[in-house]
Order: sequence, then C-alpha cells, then structure tokens
Amino acid sequence: MKKFVNEPANFVPEFMKGVLLANPGLLEFIPEFQLIKRTDRPAENKVSVVQGSGSGHEPAHIMTVGPGMLSAACQGPVFAAPPVDACYETIKSVATDAGVLVLVNNYQGDRMAWDMACEMAEAEGIKVKQFIINDDVSVEDSLYTVGRRGVAGNFFVIKACGAAAEAGADLDTVLAVAEKVNANVRTMGVALTSCIPPAKGTAIFEIGDDEMEVGIGIHGEPGRRRDKIKNADAITDELFDAVAQDLPYKSGDRVALMINGLGGTPISELYVLYARAHERAEQAGLTVVRNYVGEYCTSLEMAGASLTLLKLDGQLEEYLDAPAEVAVRIF
Amino acid sequence: MTELTIEQIEKAIDVASDTVIRNEIYFSDLDGLAGDGDFGTSLATGFKVIKADLPTLDKSAVGAMLLKISMLCSKHVGGSSGPIWGTGFMRAGMASKDKTSVSLEDLAAMVNSAVEGIMARGGAKLGDKTLLDALIPIAEKMKEMAPTGDAAATLKAVTEVADKAIDETRNLVAHRGRASQVGERSANTPDPGIVGVATILYDWCKHYGVDYTPTAAELNR
Repeated sequence: MKKFVNEPANFVPEFMKGVLLANPGLLEFIPEFQLIKRTDRPAENKVSVVQGSGSGHEPAHIMTVGPGMLSAACQGPVFAAPPVDACYETIKSVATDAGVLVLVNNYQGDRMAWDMACEMAEAEGIKVKQFIINDDVSVEDSLYTVGRRGVAGNFFVIKACGAAAEAGADLDTVLAVAEKVNANVRTMGVALTSCIPPAKGTAIFEIGDDEMEVGIGIHGEPGRRRDKIKNADAITDELFDAVAQDLPYKSGDRVALMINGLGGTPISELYVLYARAHERAEQAGLTVVRNYVGEYCTSLEMAGASLTLLKLDGQLEEYLDAPAEVAVRIF
Repeated sequence: MTELTIEQIEKAIDVASDTVIRNEIYFSDLDGLAGDGDFGTSLATGFKVIKADLPTLDKSAVGAMLLKISMLCSKHVGGSSGPIWGTGFMRAGMASKDKTSVSLEDLAAMVNSAVEGIMARGGAKLGDKTLLDALIPIAEKMKEMAPTGDAAATLKAVTEVADKAIDETRNLVAHRGRASQVGERSANTPDPGIVGVATILYDWCKHYGVDYTPTAAELNR
C-alpha cells in the first residue's frame, strides 16, 4: 500500500480535521461522532437536511455540508456505516421546529443505523423524516443492500433538497423533492481498477489489467459482469443505454447529465466520456440543461466512472440553479 | 410466581457479557465462513463496555437500565449488530419502563417486543437465516411457558429452541445481511447470530444450574 497516511486507523478523523481547517468559520467538527455541521445550523424555521455513511466516497457526504446543501453529516469508517449514536447526534445537532430530513443511501447498515437514530430522535420529540435513495440501475440486489444501491444520484437529491430547505420549504415539501429527484434519477458505473481502504491495506477485489467491472458498486461490489476493457465510446454507450432505458428517458425530456469520477480517473478522461454521453443524449432527443463532470461520489482511488441522468422540471431546474457552497473548492 | 429483580437481570446480563467476550474470536470465525468476519469483535467490543458500565448504570427501573444498555449498544457495537442488539434492548426497555421487578409473563412480553422491533429494523423474517430464526420461536416458547411461573423450566425450554435452530437453519441459504451475498456458499454454515443467542442461553443454564444437554456441535465445543 502506498498512500498518504499517518496512523491508518486515524485516516477518517484526520481528513475531517483538514476539511474543518480548510473552511474556517463555516463548519463545526465534533470528533467524538465524526460529525461535521454548518456553524449557522440549526436555523429557526428552516428544515435541516442530514446524511451519514461510510467514508471513502468523498466529497460525499461530509464535504457536501454547506449552504444550500447538507446541514450536517457524520462519517463511519471507510465503507462501513456510522454508529447509531453518531447518526442520532447528527440529527440532534441541527434539529429545528421545522424538522430534519435524513437522506439515506440504500445500504443495509446505513438504513438500520438511521432508522434507529430517527426512532431515538422522535422519542425526544424531534420532528424527523427519512428518505431512501436508490438510483443504481446495474443490479436489483447487491452486497450490503436489498434493492438498488444509492450512488452518484445522491448528489442531486442533496442539491435539490438543500435548495428547497434553504428557501424555507417545510419538511413535507423537502421530502417530496427528495422523492421526485429519486424517481427521476438513474446511474450506472464501471470500474477499471480496485481500491485500497487504508485500514485494510489491501485491494478490496481483484481485477485484471485488461478487465473492467460493468455496473460496479461504490464499495467494490460486483455489478452486471466482468469483461475485457473496451474503448471509451463503447463503454459510454453501454452506460448510457442502461441508464436511459431504465426510466426511460424520452425524446423531449430536459435532463441533467453527470459523468462522475470514482476517484482514480483523470478529469480529462471524464471529459472523453462526457463528449460521447452528451452526443448520445442529443441523438436521443434529450436536452442537456445542466452538466456535471468531476468527482461527486467516489470509491477511494478506484479508476472508473459513472453516468447519471436526471429528468428535470421547472422546480428541479430552479433548485439545481440555486446557489450552494461545499467544502471542496478550486477557486 | 417468580419475580426477577433488577439485580438478577443485571447479573444475567453480566453473565451474557462474559459469554460474548469469551467467544469473540469463535463468533468472528463463524461469521468469516460466509460473512465479513466482524460479528464476534463487533459484539464483544460493545459488551466489554456494557460489562464495565453495568455496576454504575441507572437502576431506578428495569426499563431505565435496559435503555442505557441500548444506548451503549448503539455507541459501541459496530456494524449491523449495533442497531440490531440496540433495538432489542430498547424495545425490551420500553416494555418494562417503570417496573422494579418483572414476572416471567412480563419477560415474555419484553422479549416479544424486542423481537418485533428487530424484525421491523432489519426487514428480516423467519427463514432468512438470521438470529430471528432463534428469537422468534424463543418468544413463542416464552409466551407458552410464562404462565407456569417456572423460570428454570422456561430457560431450559428456550435453550432447546435455540439449540435446535442452529441445526434447522444450517442448510438454509441466507437472505439477509452480508452472508446473503455469497448465495449458496452460506449453506452448510451455521448462522453466527443464532449460535450467539444459543450460547448465551446455554451459559445461563450452566450459571443457574439448569441441566441441559445440547445437540448442536457449536454448543458442544
């Protein structure tokens, strides 16, 4: 293993400390629960939106805490759900009379931890609702899940719910926004290499130099099939077809198109994929209203990418356009 | 009519903690056959804290103590076991809230409530090869035995239920949890959750002098 680590067991709190120090005044870090929250939340009459999951997917989830995005998030160890009490403290840290919406990606460990945390919060009189995100079309059931996995589409749920909450929407309305985004977003990914959790020190799965895993999960879970690697356009076509046919997206639809890097693929390669995906979308009669190319939901240093389509309406376009700020910046 | 005091329940949990701690490696090895091998360690990490904190926990009522234990599970038991065991203690605590002692019938209601909570939490049902394959028939047996007021006979009966569950589920394919992902590979391996429950019950038998001879190989080590 060749990584920038000090003590592997301290990897998660150490990177969280870096996120905190890089965002002075904006974020608060509570190390006991591996929890980062906005310093200006809770705010009276505003719904808070929270999330928490295993680490290794940065910028999801902790680095998407900020104005117009998440109010707070907690991190578990790499690829493992956070403990129940951290989830509970996350809800409690931003609880308001308007309520808290918990966005949970569909993994068994995350679901059980948040479900129990919500029950504990409710017992304390906190108004809380949870929503399960499951945008991955590659497999119906997977490692750690019953039903489809939650992957890069999560970003759009956070963005839209964050904007709605910032605008002062009530809890039921923000929940309805989450439902609408999840119902209209679909993703599929492909991996070219494996990845190494720092505390584990070895690759989470083996893959040959000339192979790809089509439909990969963000924890290295198997997808649809293992195959010989193809050229970029052929791979993009397979991802696009799988995603586009699933909803299905129809000619005339206005969409957001995302090419998400899984952590170890250069931005230039992501734009090679985007070029083909954009052309395929236009050929299919889709209007690409907004595009996203970069890293939104990763799997440590895995080389690979995912393609996401989100069907838009006036409300969602407005929410995607709304200003937002996160802990990762390049300017 | 048998009434269990808070002190007696505290002692039973202390004995169970010893069972979990002593079997840390064995339970993880069982989990490693089809799962990710963290079950024993996850559980033992939490029960070490529970055992250490037990003497100083709130003992104003049975429920108060169990709710504190639930909180310790949710904080210190890792992986999926945290919410599962935490839910069990939470529901049992809610069902015994202000009681300073519990009858066998109270205990049966607490166990039933815990089992319902765990089913709701994880979405598993009978035959999915999880610890519920032991807990569901245990709850039924307790309800049946409770009116007798015979604690020793009830313990023996539920230990037999858990013991049998090990062998009855051995050849099932897991439908929930990490083991569900290896499909057929999970057949012919015992479920570590079921073995865990059965081992705790068998150790209680030994502690309370209840004579029981187990059949499953996992209890005859």
